[in-house]
Order: sequence, then structure tokens, then C-alpha cells
Amino acid sequence: MKRSVWARRLLLSAVVVCSIFAGGAAKIVQDQCGPFTDVTPAFCPFVSELYYLGITAGTSATTFSPDDPLTRGQAAVFVAKGLDQSLARSSRRAALGQWWTTTPYYDLGLGVTNLSLAIRHVASDGTDIWVAGGSVVYRVRASDGKLLETWTGATSAHSILIAMGRVFVVGSTSIASPDVTPGVLYMIDPSQPAGPVTTVATDLGNNDIDIAFDGGRIWVTDSGSSVAIVTPGSSIPWSVTKVSTGFSLPIGIVFDGANIWVADVLAGDLLKLDANGAILQAVHTGASQFIAFDGAKIWVPGPTAVTIVQASTGAIVATLTGNGIQGGNAAAFDGQRVMVTSPNADTVSLWNAADLSALGFFSTGAGSLPYHVCSDGINFWLTLGGPGQLARF
Amino acid sequence: MKRLWIAPVLLAALFAGGAVRIVQDQCGPFTDVTPSFCPFVSELYYLGITAGTSPTTFSPDDPLTRGQAAVFIAKGLNQSLARSSRRAALGQWWAPSFFPWVVGLGVTPLPEGLGPLVCDGFDVWVGGNSHIFRVRASDGKLLDTWTIANPPSAILAAMGRVFIAGGASLYMIDPASPSGGATQIAALPSFTAGLAFDGNRLWTANQGGSVSIIDPSPTTPWPVTTVRSGFQAPFGIVFDGQHNWVSDTGSCTLLELDSSAAVLRTVNFGMPDCAIYAPIFDGSNVLLPNGNALQVVRASDGSLVATVPITTNAAQVAFDGERILVQSSGGGQNTPRGLTLLRAADFSTLRIEGFLPIGGPGIAGIAADGVNFWVTFQTGNGDVLARY
Repeated sequence: MKRSVWARRLLLSAVVVCSIFAGGAAKIVQDQCGPFTDVTPAFCPFVSELYYLGITAGTSATTFSPDDPLTRGQAAVFVAKGLDQSLARSSRRAALGQWWTTTPYYDLGLGVTNLSLAIRHVASDGTDIWVAGGSVVYRVRASDGKLLETWTGATSAHSILIAMGRVFVVGSTSIASPDVTPGVLYMIDPSQPAGPVTTVATDLGNNDIDIAFDGGRIWVTDSGSSVAIVTPGSSIPWSVTKVSTGFSLPIGIVFDGANIWVADVLAGDLLKLDANGAILQAVHTGASQFIAFDGAKIWVPGPTAVTIVQASTGAIVATLTGNGIQGGNAAAFDGQRVMVTSPNADTVSLWNAADLSALGFFSTGAGSLPYHVCSDGINFWLTLGGPGQLARF
Repeated sequence: MKRLWIAPVLLAALFAGGAVRIVQDQCGPFTDVTPSFCPFVSELYYLGITAGTSPTTFSPDDPLTRGQAAVFIAKGLNQSLARSSRRAALGQWWAPSFFPWVVGLGVTPLPEGLGPLVCDGFDVWVGGNSHIFRVRASDGKLLDTWTIANPPSAILAAMGRVFIAGGASLYMIDPASPSGGATQIAALPSFTAGLAFDGNRLWTANQGGSVSIIDPSPTTPWPVTTVRSGFQAPFGIVFDGQHNWVSDTGSCTLLELDSSAAVLRTVNFGMPDCAIYAPIFDGSNVLLPNGNALQVVRASDGSLVATVPITTNAAQVAFDGERILVQSSGGGQNTPRGLTLLRAADFSTLRIEGFLPIGGPGIAGIAADGVNFWVTFQTGNGDVLARY
């Protein structure tokens, strides 16, 4: 009843007042074309947009010189500034007004969720955060960090993947000696009540490390010198194809939209694979662990540097040193920035992914051991092995 | 039966080869583009960024003027922003309207006295009288109700917590805990209408003539550093990734502050017709409602780059990454109130809705979550949170 009263008032007044409001709002902007006096109406909407966005200041305080030729250098400025604006404004943080870079207050209990000392990898499904640890899998609500569910039976759970509306976890049937025991792929249906995980494949390599998805199949690396390709099936167990040719100690794995890439820590190579797991290209980056793809480049964290590899060519485009990297372990991309964890130094390092500029490094607390990291587009999420906490950044 | 299978396969192969060859050879409609440039030129064509120099030519070797470059960049940026929004992924290409509210859609009735609100990316937090309400953004369901000693005047989500300014106090909620009473964490020198976070510390704009900086602490109360120099009546505050900006209604200025709250830069809007409210940041500019205009100040240099007319008396503003929503509070008994939706890239008007009756309901707060704008209404006959 209350709603209908105010709703009717809205409706009755709408038509009358709309006419008062209409028109005029954009007039001054259009007439002046920003500060420029030499821009024709046909070009004005585009030129003024670049001015308001800070992409151009014109050729003087009142001129844009629209008919002047553009040099390659000026074009580079236009494109780069335009891209930066696009990335900044299209992030989820922009819509929420969260323009800050967080300084952790984990020691005060802010932004942390207590889980267990056995936590390892972390992944986001866009709404919740999933953490593999020990023999359980945790589901944490991203909005407030509340532990929602604990799934059991995921022995030696290490890495985690969200795909096809399910949560996949790699582990082992053995807690004591996973390095000599075939690995296992577990699956969780998040729509079901929490309980034991389902084992969907049991014949992976020994000591499984990391997991990726290519849109159709699940790929798992193992320190037993192979890569396993798991094909979902209508019945359990799902079929597993193991490829060992060319691998010495594959660790990190990521899919770039076209190919799977594997970081082989023993060989110090980043390996580009074809659809059958055969090595197409080896890029020597030095030893590395858990890698990330940013839409164009592979970020390869190493002991003292992060190597940046162009995925389209395999070329090393940069080697980033400093910025707090000491034993870089895992990388994650949030659409605009890349974070790398350094458990040895208890720090996380941040870079602008577009221009590779360093954004600083941050202590996560003495003995916190920041191990793995993921992003949900608003926050980075870290597993802190020291206190056994999931932490938002 | 086998023949039926074979024929389509052959036909498909012929069609596939032919189709691909035509596109590659011609590069969209263009016949003068080499294969190495073709993927990029055709992308610009398919995205509507260029139509070429004729129906069949792109003229890839012609020099580019600055004006033509501006068209390419601006159209490219617009495509990028439109396609990367969460609304694009959800297929929500429509412009918002208040009309669904009239039939009870998109609204969550809440107790009277609603005020400020904030989105944490999943839920909407709404202040009202002696309560803080948590509403699920996906369906508008009221999830939790927290109590607070003073009426909320500003809300902020940061560090996994929700912070609320109420009266001359700062309160905190741990959203992971069962709902109950908000915890007072700091006493402020005067009534506070503005609340911001710089990634490390909380900032408040105190209308008694000061700005306070609050450091997180293991125990309450959290330490407060109050700076009075340079301020008369601070109202709103926003962090732009580098510095805080404060609107001061006493001096009618927008003030850029350093990390100690010393004034680095003053943008003066002049008395006596000053009507500034709380600023927001859009990634490059600080946007300040000021009477019948939205003032646009470049954050990098403090220059006033645009004055966008708003009817009537712009009071609150929100940014969703692509669009700006401005609330008009009206200028008295005989002036209308409503909402103006602008394109953030060029401040052109997308929609104006002057639906609020004179003397009728008032908008108390607006915010964005990247999918919807959210608006609190004090209707005088039961308040609502509405998605726009």
C-alpha cells in the first residue's frame, strides 16, 4: 500500500517534470568542444572525449590542430593513454570507487579468514573463494571473508581450478608420500550441500602440483616429470592421458586461450604445448613456479626476477628485478595489475600489467609465508602458510 | 545413409574454404590492405571504428591527421569500455529507468530514514536512522540488519569491513560475524559527512572545520589525527589513488591534500552562489556537484576542464566505470528533482528523469556496483532501496 502511494506520485509527476529537465545539459560542452576553437562539429565528440579523459591537451591551450599529421610517437601516446583509461575504468574496483592500493593489516585481523596451516592454492569463482588445504577444501564468501563450507576427503589437496560450474582439486591418495603415489583429481559440485569430494580420476602422475583448463580438458602437472590430460566423461573414472616426453619437473601451468604453457623448474624453461601435450617451444627463463597469463604475456616468477614472455611469439620482452622479489612463487592478474608472492621475504609485489611499471611491494607480516594468489577482479586473495589464513589484498 | 553424411561434409568444406578465402583476400570490404595489417584493420571495421576511405579502400599508407586519430582512439575506447563492463557480459544493454519501480520491481522496502549507501561488490550496505541494512545485490533481499548509535552519514567498504560515520563517531562492522551492533572504533571532533580510505588509513571530512586521519589499530579506540589548518566546513572526501580531495562548503573550494592532510592545491568555485557537495573520482577527473552543474576537475593538475549543466541543484554523484549518475535535489518549493545519467567519457547526456514531485520523495543516496546504480529514497510514506 505504501509503495503504491509513492509510486503513483512518481508516475503522475514524471511527464510534467521530464519536459522541464530535458535539453540543455550537454549544450555547453558541445558548443565549446572542450577548450578547443579549431575543431569542427564532426570531430568534436571524439576530440572532446580525449580531452576530458586526459588523453590529449591539444597543441596549445585553445587548439587541437585536427588537420595536422600525427607522428608515430603521438599515436603511441594516444593509444597507450586510451588503453590505460579503458583498463582503469573497466575494472570492478572503479565502479566501487576503490581506487586505493591496500596496505595489509593482517596482524590486526582485518581482511583475513582463519583456515588451517595446510592451505595451499586458492581460486575464485567470481563470487566465492576456494582454498585447497590438507585434506579439505574451503569455500569462503568474497564479500566478507566468511567461511561458508568445508568439503572433506580431498587427501593431499594442493591446487584448485574453477571450471564448468564445478571445483576441481588435485591431490593424492596418500598423505604421507604423495611423491610416490599416483595423483587424484577431485571434483566438487558447489550447488550441493558440503560433504565429501568426488574422485573423478585416480591415475595422474606422482606428486601433482598445478592444474589448468583449456575449455574442454583438464591439465595437471606433476613433479614425477609428466603432464596429465584429463577428459571429462559421462562416467567415473574420467580418462587420463599422461605425457612425459620433454618434461623434467613441470610445476606451474596456464592456458592462454590457444595453448597450454608449463613452467619446468628443473630445466628452467617455459614450455608451450600443443593440444596433445607435445612441446612446441621452449623459452629459457630460469627456474620458476606458478605462472600467470595477462591476456598477452606470461608472467614467470623466479628466485630474483619475474620474466615476461610474449605469448604470441615466445619472446622474452622484459626481466623485472627488484620491487621486493625474493624467491617469487606465484603470480596472479586482476585485469590491470599483476601480483607475485615471495614467501621467503614475506612480501607481495605489484606491477602495472600494461607498462610493467612497479607499483610497490608490501609486507604480509613476519612468518606469514604468502604462498599462492588469485584475483576476483576486486581483490587479490592470498594464502598465508604461516598463520594458515586466507587474506584479501 | 552414408551418402547423406558425406554430402554435407563436402559442402561444408567448400563453403568454409571459400568464406575464409574471401575474408582474408579482401580484408573485410577493403581491397588495399596487406595480410599483415588485415587483422587489425578488419577489427576496426567490424567494431565500427572505421568505414575506410571508400567502400572498398582503407588507404593504409595515407598519413593520419590528429583529428582522424582522435576518432579512432575515442571510438576504440568507447568500444572497450562498453564491452568490458559487467553489464555487457550479462547482456544488460538497456538504459536504466525508474518506471519498474512504479510497479514494485527493483525496489526493497526498508524502514524510514534511509541515507547513505555503499556497494562492496556483492551486497549493498544502506544506512538509515539507527540501522545499517545489508541487501543482496543479486535479488534485493534484505540479509542483515545492524544497529548503530547515531544516524549514519557516510558508509565505506574496505579491508573486509564496513565503516560508518555517524554523528561524531566512526563505527565498524565485521560482515562475517552475526549481525548485531556496530562497534564504535573512534571519536571524531565533530559531525562527519565524508569518509574515504587511502589503502592504509581512513579519512573523515568533519563539518566542524577539520579532517581526521584514523589509523587501524589492534585495540579500540583507533588513534585519530585531526588537522584543522586550511579547512572551514569540509563536507565530502574522495581518494583518487594518489591523494585525497575534500570539498569545503565553508570556503566553496575543492582541496587536494597530501598524506598529512596539508592542502596541496585549492580549486576555488567562488561565493556566494556556492552549492558544492561530495566529490567522486572517475579515473582521471574529480567530479563535484555544485548547484546547477557538475564541475569536472582534472586530478593530475587541478584544472577545471568542464562545467556540465544539471537541472536542478546537483547534490550527489556516482560512477559505474562507464556512466555517471547525478542526483538533483531541487532548489526549493517550485523546482523539480530527479536523476541525470551521463556518459563518463564526454559528459554527454544519456537520460534525464525528473520524476520526483515537488514536495514529494527525496533521494538520500546513490552508489554503483558495476551492474546497477543503487538509490535510496525517502518517500515520506515508507523508504525504499531501488536499483537503477
